[in-house]
Amino acid sequence: MKLLSSLRGRNVAAIVVLFAVAFPYIVPNPGFWVLNAGTRTLWIGLLALSMIYLNRNLGLMSLGQLFFSGMTSYTIAILTEKHGMSFGLSIPLGVLVGTLAGLIIGWVALKTEGVYFLMLTLAVALGLYSLSLAAETITGGHTGINSVAPPKIFGIDITARNTFYYLCLIINLIVFALCVWLQRTNFGLALNGIRDNSIRTTSLGYSNRALRLAAFTFSAFIASIAGIIGLFYYQAISPDSVGLIRSIDLLVVVVVGGAGYLIGGYVGAAVIAVFESVIQDYTTYYVAAEGALFIVILLLAPQGLMGIGDQIRARRDRTRASLIGGE
Amino acid sequence: MSQFLFTALNGITLAAVFFLVASGLTLIFGLMRVINLAHGGYYLFAAYFSYTIMQHVHNWALGALISSIVMAVGGTFIYLVLLRRFQYEELRVALITLGLSLVLQQIMLALFGGDAYQISVPQPLQGAIHIPGMMIGYPKFRIAFLGFAIVTGILLWALISKTKFGSIIRAGVDDTQMVSAMGIDIQKVFTVVIALGCALVGFAGAVGGTSIAYGMGTDGDFLLFSLQVVIIGGLGSIGGVAIGSLLVGLIGQMATAYIPTMSGALPFIVMIVVLAFRPQGILGRKL
Repeated sequence: MKLLSSLRGRNVAAIVVLFAVAFPYIVPNPGFWVLNAGTRTLWIGLLALSMIYLNRNLGLMSLGQLFFSGMTSYTIAILTEKHGMSFGLSIPLGVLVGTLAGLIIGWVALKTEGVYFLMLTLAVALGLYSLSLAAETITGGHTGINSVAPPKIFGIDITARNTFYYLCLIINLIVFALCVWLQRTNFGLALNGIRDNSIRTTSLGYSNRALRLAAFTFSAFIASIAGIIGLFYYQAISPDSVGLIRSIDLLVVVVVGGAGYLIGGYVGAAVIAVFESVIQDYTTYYVAAEGALFIVILLLAPQGLMGIGDQIRARRDRTRASLIGGE
Repeated sequence: MSQFLFTALNGITLAAVFFLVASGLTLIFGLMRVINLAHGGYYLFAAYFSYTIMQHVHNWALGALISSIVMAVGGTFIYLVLLRRFQYEELRVALITLGLSLVLQQIMLALFGGDAYQISVPQPLQGAIHIPGMMIGYPKFRIAFLGFAIVTGILLWALISKTKFGSIIRAGVDDTQMVSAMGIDIQKVFTVVIALGCALVGFAGAVGGTSIAYGMGTDGDFLLFSLQVVIIGGLGSIGGVAIGSLLVGLIGQMATAYIPTMSGALPFIVMIVVLAFRPQGILGRKL
């Protein structure tokens, strides 16, 4: 039975990957959908993955992921556009800055938990907005840094539609595999132990704080990678791309997809990308529709679309149990 | 010296607005452990709303009063319809209110557009007063608003620590179940506190909308200010809000005047430093 379900899981994964590989060739109107649904899903999905990784392994909901991705985007844009540094140097430096920011913020934020942690990380993300808005001489203030010329690898423009899509797909597959692998290592198992019973892991000799901080820093690293994609997706970075609305957008994606499932972020990102593209034709206030959808999901299916199956199963088991119990 | 004094006064009077906004947030959290992340949206809505009312009644005080009442009623309605059934799931409430702020933001954009607004100063408070040590006069209304905030703070303190209702709130903070067991309808107390917190943000909208121009994006700004204030000062404590507001207001204004590049970063750094040493904030209870 277990073998069967794991086989099924593998088949589903293979089909999803095959679909993603074939996507630019099977979708109608690829000029629009590859960028607005495909690449966008991969970018937002990766950001969502950094949030979900944290939620699954530490049981914490963070709204601060845009801080780390934004730090990376800004670092790369500032170093290349204003200081003429090559991408070969600025991109690793950007990821380093984003990840280090994760280490510092994590060191402070992990002292709190629950709704306090949520609030603190939101304040951190909003902090980057007001910080980049005010530091006009460095960040370009409200307009930000525009028309960041994309890098060329062997003379190929990486932001050409399909090239960029496949590049993002490869990055996502690697990071996703890394997350799955990490969950199976001793490190991942120890994290599960801490989340479920921290007193026990302490008495077993694990350093809860160091392990949790490592996981937080890793999630900031994922967000930083997403920051590279985000920068080249728009070829620009401005305070608005790290503002309140964007943080909520990301949360909507995670909640709609399902915060308890690594794949949930991609499901949510795809659904929201299609939802936005379609509904934009009917109303300019599509963000309100998105907010309403978000509230409805929270009210009815708090585990998101990926969790609906589990939710129905749990409900069925409960009714069955109550029937047997003869309540 | 004169510029320093001017900047300091700006910081303190700004803190008065922050205090009015964040005290509602902290009051509700203190009793119910529920955080309203649509609070910035409520503030902006109250500012737009009181502007519209004052256009019709031509009376600042009446406008502010109506704004407080409407916000209290509206906020309570939202609580009863949307949030009450989840009030023991803090995280879900926080997320729902975040979704609410998205919807609210769009509604306000549709109703009021993207322009900046500012409420005009009421007649008796126009003009400047002379302050010793300063070359130029300081706007009278800002000093008056500082007075409003101080009076509100004292009233809140008196309500919480000197009245029977206040003792119920304090008992509810410690042990909600015990309070209900004593025959007090805690749900009614919750609703009253929600109404009070929302009335405060309604008043804050009128006051803040008069001292600071507002428009699209102000909701996010004030959510950030409120979060910084309560995180620094300690969530759930009125005194903490006072200290937090003063710090955020003063640091923000001083930085804007002397090191403008850092004006966004400095309150942020202060917040991180405070948290590093006191995760519960300056006056907060132990987490």
